[in-house]
Amino acid sequence: MLVTYPEAAHWPIDPDRLDLVEEFRRQPRGPHGDELQKLLHRLRWAGDPDQPGRYVLIVTQPGKEWMLGRLPRQRGRPIELMRNHVFTSIAEAEWEVFKLRWEAVTGRTLPPHLSEKLA
Amino acid sequence: MTDTTSVLGYAWPMVVSPGEEVAFHLSSPSVSKADAVLVRVRCGDPDPAGPGIRVQEMAAPFERTVSLVHQPIRPGSCAIVADTPALTSFQSFTIGTFVWPTMPGDRAQTILSRWRADVQEGWRLGLDADGHLEFVVAAGGRTWRVATGAALLSREWVLAGASWDAEAGRLAVMVRSVDPQGGRDRSERVEADGPTALEWPAAVPLVIAAHAGDARGELFDGFYDGKIDRPRLHASVQAIDGLYRLCESVNFPMADARLIAAWDFSRGMAGESVTDLSAHHLHGRLRQMPTRGMTGANWDGSTDRWTDCPEQYGAIHFHSDDMADAEWEPTVRFTVPAEWRSGFYALRLRADAGDEPVESFVAFFVRAELGKPRSRLAFVASTGTFLAYANSALRLDQVHAEAMLEGVLTLSRDDVYIQEHREVGLSTYDTHADGSGWSISSARRPILNMRPRGNVFNYGNDTHFIDWLEETGQDYDVITDDDIHRHGVQVLAPYTCVVTGSHPEYISREVWDAFDAYQRGGGRHMYLGGNGFYWRIAYHPTVPHTIEMRRGMTGLRTWEGEAGETALAFTGEPSSTWRSNGRPPQRLVGVGFDGQVFTHSSPYRWLDGAKDPALSWLTEGIDLAAPLGDFGLRGNGAAGVEIDRVDWSLGSPPGTVWLATADRLGYGGTPAPEEIRTLHRGVMGDQNAQVRADLVYFPTANGGAVFSTGSIAWVCALSHAGYENNVSQLTGNVLKRFLDPTPL
Repeated sequence: MLVTYPEAAHWPIDPDRLDLVEEFRRQPRGPHGDELQKLLHRLRWAGDPDQPGRYVLIVTQPGKEWMLGRLPRQRGRPIELMRNHVFTSIAEAEWEVFKLRWEAVTGRTLPPHLSEKLA
Repeated sequence: MTDTTSVLGYAWPMVVSPGEEVAFHLSSPSVSKADAVLVRVRCGDPDPAGPGIRVQEMAAPFERTVSLVHQPIRPGSCAIVADTPALTSFQSFTIGTFVWPTMPGDRAQTILSRWRADVQEGWRLGLDADGHLEFVVAAGGRTWRVATGAALLSREWVLAGASWDAEAGRLAVMVRSVDPQGGRDRSERVEADGPTALEWPAAVPLVIAAHAGDARGELFDGFYDGKIDRPRLHASVQAIDGLYRLCESVNFPMADARLIAAWDFSRGMAGESVTDLSAHHLHGRLRQMPTRGMTGANWDGSTDRWTDCPEQYGAIHFHSDDMADAEWEPTVRFTVPAEWRSGFYALRLRADAGDEPVESFVAFFVRAELGKPRSRLAFVASTGTFLAYANSALRLDQVHAEAMLEGVLTLSRDDVYIQEHREVGLSTYDTHADGSGWSISSARRPILNMRPRGNVFNYGNDTHFIDWLEETGQDYDVITDDDIHRHGVQVLAPYTCVVTGSHPEYISREVWDAFDAYQRGGGRHMYLGGNGFYWRIAYHPTVPHTIEMRRGMTGLRTWEGEAGETALAFTGEPSSTWRSNGRPPQRLVGVGFDGQVFTHSSPYRWLDGAKDPALSWLTEGIDLAAPLGDFGLRGNGAAGVEIDRVDWSLGSPPGTVWLATADRLGYGGTPAPEEIRTLHRGVMGDQNAQVRADLVYFPTANGGAVFSTGSIAWVCALSHAGYENNVSQLTGNVLKRFLDPTPL
């Protein structure tokens, strides 16, 4: 049985590379440079190991509105809906999830100019 | 947020002819009444950037308000042997079988039983909650139990057995590991006190891989995950060596009255019954279609097909979540009027139950009746593909999904439901709870992603082509994979042109042969999708709308089958990709799957082949200097998602006109595994021109022709700018010429 392991993505993240955070903030949907691609691959593959589940978006209005949620790793358990986190664009949602993941993986809070919502 | 799941249902049959009856099997745990309206589906994609949901209400004779009840689904496969005097004709006995458990320690699981859970009587051999082999006998309010000291290992064969010696008043449980090396040995024998006489419960079936919930033989529990190979029941006390001989034997030339049963799961592989080789003929029936054609403990690698050596394929892989039939009672019956056009239809159910409006669709298809075409054009409903993807939980369960899709997962209300309600049964993209691949898919259950408002991949995308046909005023018939499989080329032959949609991926040999014969006979085939004609599947020989596939050892697979298990149980044919069966899609439609791109879709650029004046009918009204399809609902381009390319070495016909290509896909262009022979860097789309979508045309025999776009995103670009765009123009040009019977 061939298995994929969430811990397999191990590109080392340098918490000082705020340039990569800025690059993502400029274009959450890409295209992205090589190093940002590697950073995103690690974050997306690992699936939020510090959380009770992977961050996901729930479509509340097709093409218009999305809600943040956490998808449990165990099938059958309900997806946690985070009703206070609602987005009106995918880019805005990507940015919010990126910030949560960056702070979780680096253990550092982003500086004020990088922690705001996407304009 | 629209509630799409409080009411669910399925139509049976899934495909009907005008004049035939379809029954809607509906259920709701929370809504007692719903407004039920039949609709003809034009577009099933709610995306506000496109046409949106577009359906036409149809008149129907039944009462619009339907009453609903909750109808539970009971997943879990097992074999059931109806009660018979032979099962209570003995006292002392031995039972045993080879087992390959896949979830020992997950919960208590029953392997072999004649047990009533409601009164806790009878006997059962199984795994306890910690994975130890346990044997329990009970009657008259007393229970005796014996269990091994060690838990069984996952995915390791052992001979597992138990005996009751009535004369000695002893129970024994015994294990012999097939491979006792390297820490794998779980061989042991444990004895305990047992009864000296028992009165067996009456009217209880013998069940393999579960136990009976009660005496009615309808409810089952204690489902086991894993393989069971050659179970035996002998009315004597045997030690492990005797049991081993019994289980190793695959034929019994000397009738032995004490051999109560010896099941051989390699017989009648495609069927739903299991055969007993003993003189008692204790044949059983299977529920919820477990996976057959599985390697047994005696498989030696000398073949990978059960047809070559059935005696090495005496195992069935049972799953506690197998689900082939929801067994719901019908709620509404409807006879399709003879005058109805063929097409995509659905029963729309609306209710105001709580905070959110309920709107849930139950899809069905009305086929153009065989031999009675009403148009020169037929659109193929890719029902094989719809079934293969039915209730896919890929994005919920698989680690790679978010990385593959290049962004945070966006889940629908249906996905939220499936995460919690696995009892609806998953798709062939998914794994069972035990990690093994899901290889069978049926339509006798709600299919949440084959309906309007469902996840758009496949069904929803294909309705964009229907929407375009309606918009352009083009008449058409709808035919389905199921019909082509059953009746072959005669389903296609009446049409001057046949269109396959965004993703005709799952193809039986019968369907492939029908398209081949159609094209050879002068038919015109427009393949407007990507990753088409890719996997080889089989349809169940007797149960309608039920497919089987095996992922095999190559191709883009979300799970990998076990070695030796790539042949289809339904037919004995090899499965896997058509490319590995000697039929690369390039040979049939000019292009074949080469990669995926989810970062963004791209336009094609025209190649010299399109500039041939003889093809002016194809390019009329189109600026060949402008990009083709730099727009669309899937990634803002017509070339993307899953894509196909020309390859002369893989069989693209020499007469292929390579019209256009999208070969600058960037780093998001990822090649299919079978495109890479060795490992090296530089394989992604930013460096590799083999990752691309190609647009081709070629003439076939007898004035026929093929036009292929090699991209799933194509049909989702048709409606751009009020349908006035070069993707729409080109599709229309080709369709117009393909409907002209003048030979090409």
